Amino acid sequence: MRGWLWLLLLLALGGLFFWGMQRNPKELPSVLAKERRPAPDFTLPLLSPYRAEWGEAFRLADHLGKRPIVLNFWASWCYPACYEEAPILEASWRRHRGEVLFVGVNTQDKEEEALRFIAQFGLTFPQVYDPRGRVGVDYGMYGVPETFFIDREGRVLARHAGAIDEATLARYLEEALR
Amino acid sequence: MRWVVLLLAFLLPALAQEAPPPDLSPEVFRIARELRCPVCQGESAAESNSGVAAEMRRIIAEMLQEGKTEEEIKAFFVERYGEWILYAPPRRGVTLWVWVLPVLGLLLLGLGLFAYFRPKPLPKELLEEAERRLKEPPR
Repeated sequence: MRGWLWLLLLLALGGLFFWGMQRNPKELPSVLAKERRPAPDFTLPLLSPYRAEWGEAFRLADHLGKRPIVLNFWASWCYPACYEEAPILEASWRRHRGEVLFVGVNTQDKEEEALRFIAQFGLTFPQVYDPRGRVGVDYGMYGVPETFFIDREGRVLARHAGAIDEATLARYLEEALR
Repeated sequence: MRWVVLLLAFLLPALAQEAPPPDLSPEVFRIARELRCPVCQGESAAESNSGVAAEMRRIIAEMLQEGKTEEEIKAFFVERYGEWILYAPPRRGVTLWVWVLPVLGLLLLGLGLFAYFRPKPLPKELLEEAERRLKEPPR
């Protein structure tokens, strides 16, 4: 009888251990996306190439609730992930320009290096400059690159951590546009 | 005299490392130590040199200046990152087990050891045998 009890305890602990080993510690859920919270607002200066079209400063609240927004956090020092996704984002922006707004948030970067990155990929969607990375904290960001999808009502739909590929981007866009 | 100089030469750099950088108060670092650095995960927001951790320290300093309490500051980060950001898992819900299991394990170990080393009563036959031998007249 007592032997069985010990065996049961051992099995329970073993099961717990096994379950723990199966979990992915790198999986970091986004509180915003999980609860579909309203996207945190921010006002940041635009980088110089975008000022003619978008003005001196960019206020997210002016665009929330009108059409879906793709918010991409990046930095020029984030190699290779940010370099991989930049052309994909640009191509998608050109394709969906009328229905979705893409916004790049340059995070913890130097302005001249950010400008070089923008020129290198010919990014045409608005890019704001956040050297402190304050907005990233509001979004619960872990590290660049990270992409947030905001739906028509201005709520965070999903967060993708790491370089985004074409198929994933298309899937989330479809969900946001639905 | 030479010894004192030598001792100081060794001690001073160590002391210098102990003190937090002068731009932020030790209070900031005390709170940052209880928050996880999002990028580096194994480090606290106090130790890490990453941009996010530096920004977290700045935010803590600003919030302290605004008169926010430690609880409010922690809640601010939990609101954004979830309870994952806290170094010490909360003592409720699933993570309560993290606090309870070690105690439970020690208790079980103690019980096991106690059961193993407890003096066991001698078997009856052995006792009877010994008694019988004592009663036997010495040869």
